[in-house]
Amino acid sequence: MMDDFEKQIQQALQRKDPSPFFEARVLATVRRDAQARRARWRMWWASAVAASLLIVTGSAWQYQKIEHERIAGEQAKARLELALKITSVKLQKISHKVEQIEN
Amino acid sequence: MKRILPVVLLLGLPLAAQEIKMPPGLDKLAAKASEVVDVNLDGALLQLASKFLSDKDADEAHVKQLVGGLKGIFVKSFEFDEANQYSQADIEEFRAQFRPPAWSRIVSARSKKNGENSEILLKTDNNQISGLVVIVTEPKELTIVNIIGNIRPEDLRDLGGKMGIPKIDVGGAVKQSDKKNNDKKEDEK
Repeated sequence: MMDDFEKQIQQALQRKDPSPFFEARVLATVRRDAQARRARWRMWWASAVAASLLIVTGSAWQYQKIEHERIAGEQAKARLELALKITSVKLQKISHKVEQIEN
Repeated sequence: MKRILPVVLLLGLPLAAQEIKMPPGLDKLAAKASEVVDVNLDGALLQLASKFLSDKDADEAHVKQLVGGLKGIFVKSFEFDEANQYSQADIEEFRAQFRPPAWSRIVSARSKKNGENSEILLKTDNNQISGLVVIVTEPKELTIVNIIGNIRPEDLRDLGGKMGIPKIDVGGAVKQSDKKNNDKKEDEK
């Protein structure tokens, strides 16, 4: 009984030669892992650069839009002031003329 | 198609009702005039301009309130070096558009001495002012103001002395104090 058990242990612990191309397979796996890690890093960097570009472009576009709106608004305000100025002056003159006629 | 057509016609109706045909030769006048002012502010532009009027400044806040009820301001003003550069027939044709009951001429002042003719016309819808037209013809000047929306002429007249708008004294002179005030405001700008 004891002998059987020892035999089994001996057989289990017996040195075995690796299967054919074992080393090549291990090296290939290591290389594959390294390539995958590098690809992940490249992807991460590309994403970071793309995100940064997107933020910079978006901010520039937003700034330009706000600036464009501000200029258009200031121009519209100036035109409104001019229109009101002409209208008010004409109405004041008419009003005085009417007052003069009435008096 | 039969259903769409009335809707399209109805949508176009308010626009057509508000549209005022300017005198035909007006564009050609610009070439003859020594000074031309052509301001076209539709509803969208008025809203945009309103956004840039301050609520903190009392004058600007007042103007903002006035402009809030408007759908358009159109001003055409020509000054000429020589008299009689525009056709009276064109002006008559323009005037003919403003017929009762929609339009009423609230002021008409003529001066034979100076050859000046001023008119204020109001358009009312359901007892509410919906349009204002001012026509001022002088031998060397022609001004047409068309304002669409709810505004009283006196509100505009009373803007004198505010926001750089001169206040005209009796006799047509610009008040010195107001002029100084206006000049100061212009300098600040």
